[in-house]
Amino acid sequence: MTSLELISFINVVLFVGLFAVVLRDALRSPTRAKLNTALFFGSLAGVLVLSRLAQWTGFSADPAYPGLIIALLAVAPFAMVRLVDDFSHSPGWAQVAGAVGFVLLAGFALVAFGAMEPVVELAVVAFFLVVGGYAAVAFARAAARARGITRRRMTAVAVGAGLFIVAISIAFVGAFLGSTAAEVSSIVVQVLGLAVAFAFFLGFTPPAWIRRAWREPDLRRFLEQSIHLAGVTDERRAIAQLNAAAASTFGARGATVGVADRDRSVLRYVAQATGDWVEYPDDRFIAARAFQEQRRVVVANAAREDPENAEFYERVGAMAVIAAPISTENRRIGVLTVFAERMSVFAEDDLWLVDLLADQAAVLLESRELAQHASSLRAREEAARLKEEFLSAAAHDLRTPLTVVLGQAELLERRRQRNPAAPADAQGLARIAREARRLSDLVTELLDAQRLEQGTAVMDRAPADLLDVVEDVRERYEEGGLTVSVDRPALSLVASIDRPRIEQVLDNLVENALKYTPGGSPPQIRVASHEREARIEVVDHGIGIPEADHGRIFERFFRASNAQSITDTGLGLGLYICRRIVDEHGGRIWFEPTPGGGTTFALTLPLLAVAAGHVADEPPQWEDDPEPMTARELPADA
Amino acid sequence: MPDLRILVVDDEPAIRDTVSAMLEIEGYEVDMAANGADALEAVELALPDVIVLDMRMPVLDGWGFAAEMRRRGHRVPIVVMTAARDAARWASEIAASAFVAKPFRYDDLIGAVERARADS
Repeated sequence: MTSLELISFINVVLFVGLFAVVLRDALRSPTRAKLNTALFFGSLAGVLVLSRLAQWTGFSADPAYPGLIIALLAVAPFAMVRLVDDFSHSPGWAQVAGAVGFVLLAGFALVAFGAMEPVVELAVVAFFLVVGGYAAVAFARAAARARGITRRRMTAVAVGAGLFIVAISIAFVGAFLGSTAAEVSSIVVQVLGLAVAFAFFLGFTPPAWIRRAWREPDLRRFLEQSIHLAGVTDERRAIAQLNAAAASTFGARGATVGVADRDRSVLRYVAQATGDWVEYPDDRFIAARAFQEQRRVVVANAAREDPENAEFYERVGAMAVIAAPISTENRRIGVLTVFAERMSVFAEDDLWLVDLLADQAAVLLESRELAQHASSLRAREEAARLKEEFLSAAAHDLRTPLTVVLGQAELLERRRQRNPAAPADAQGLARIAREARRLSDLVTELLDAQRLEQGTAVMDRAPADLLDVVEDVRERYEEGGLTVSVDRPALSLVASIDRPRIEQVLDNLVENALKYTPGGSPPQIRVASHEREARIEVVDHGIGIPEADHGRIFERFFRASNAQSITDTGLGLGLYICRRIVDEHGGRIWFEPTPGGGTTFALTLPLLAVAAGHVADEPPQWEDDPEPMTARELPADA
Repeated sequence: MPDLRILVVDDEPAIRDTVSAMLEIEGYEVDMAANGADALEAVELALPDVIVLDMRMPVLDGWGFAAEMRRRGHRVPIVVMTAARDAARWASEIAASAFVAKPFRYDDLIGAVERARADS
């Protein structure tokens, strides 16, 4: 036996073996794609077996023999054209051309081969090359469109079709050359033929273990992502990623997860193009059928099965649809839909896989929901805790003046009982009055904070000169024996303000400055304008604000950690109220350390466009500031 | 009424004055301190019979004061006086003899001081 004979023999055995495997699969669960695959392998195996038998029996000398071989061989390209349609879109004319070519060629070969041998041979080669080329291009395009396992399968088939063309060309050329060349080309053709067969086998009917191996990376990615996605805060993004991962795992055109909104009987999907939610009634699409009936739905021709949405399926290039409900034991969460160009893209075990992925999606969606529920619970607990803290701080602050008022009142009573003739205790009465005022201030502050929180603080705004406002504040402190120096421009700065509120802000800042500057220098107020803004600063040389508290100083109920050492009272509302008031005026408030120690609070207020030239003539005060404050500005809502 | 020395410790001057006035009417001799650190000095200067102690104070709070005073070997009964709801718990934390919660009645304060005195 020569090496050529050995190769030929192995070739025959392998082809027959592959044919047997494919045929068994096709007979077990017949589909058009499987039957076409069997037809393809049957044609090639048949040709090889027939030629071998013919050699033994001497049938090869029969004039009918070459025609029979050619007719049998022509089945292969015919099957290939049909396979293109089984796995991706193929125009109707290509199918018709394939069938017509096959019938003409086979008929011609059987009837008239002896008479016009060279013509038939040329026709055969031409038919093979055209069909092979068409199949190679069609499968290569399908591979480019596909992903995951389908991409691998289509790539294998496209490679097979390409090799098919090469093999035919070599065989054709070999036939015209000398006998040695013919022998060599015959070996090459047979080896190529085997490669074609394996490529088609892998692509059209990959065995289960190869499918698993090809799918494994995508499946793993899906599982990894579904775990990771539980922590993605944006639900749309999480679902879009889940969709992509599911589509890759199937090697399908696309996949969508629909989430049920139970209150409104809709299924929400994430649109691939926009990444936004789209809603459909939960009785629309094949997906809805799976959701309603809570069972897996497999549809080979979606447009025919669901004509109402035929346009949609055609637009997304999906003919085959598998939908599976996403549910837990007692809850319907949504539905997973997988779209493919053709049913053949799916294998039997994909039905099992779609259930697995739907279950995984159920776990993911439910854990997301639980996590959201938990975080909203945490937020509510945090709010409750803040309220609790506030109430206890408020109770503490109210109790101190109350203790004094009650205590002093009882003292007056006792004194009167023991010595009715004694003069009234002027000091005690003054204390009662003072603490009652303090009580009233506290209650006002609490109510202010509450009202600002609800955004219902009355803001009666009217144009006012900020310099007058600042001057009023200064005078008030001066009457109390405290010097607050004011650094101000000569011209007026008119803003539309709720004057008592802005005074409240300045009072608060000045009082803080006094309170947190133990025995030190009095604060300074600086007023300036810059472009369309007035800027007011309250500068102190006090204890400053610890770095760690910088971000929270304007929060409600927050008190700097070093404030407690100065005084135990204070609700932590003052700066919060200031911020809200300034915010509502369209201004900003922030603070920064005073050079040399202490804190500078700064606020801006938008100026009214006053009479032309009035403000504009004023040289910008801030230009010569050695350290522009905006550079280190803190966000007011920090 | 024996000549009892009471030390009133509170960072709020108004409270300090009010409590002192109540105790003085009852015939006690009253010293005052604004925080735990001042109170320690006062204790060293003249040992009181009872200490009326606010708990949350700057510089040195009630807990710190009670621990330090005892570390120095002084066994003066304490009346905890606080605005917090935790008055009873705080009192037991520092092994005080009695407590009053702000705002308290005149008689409550005198009663607590008397109980503490009996404790000594």
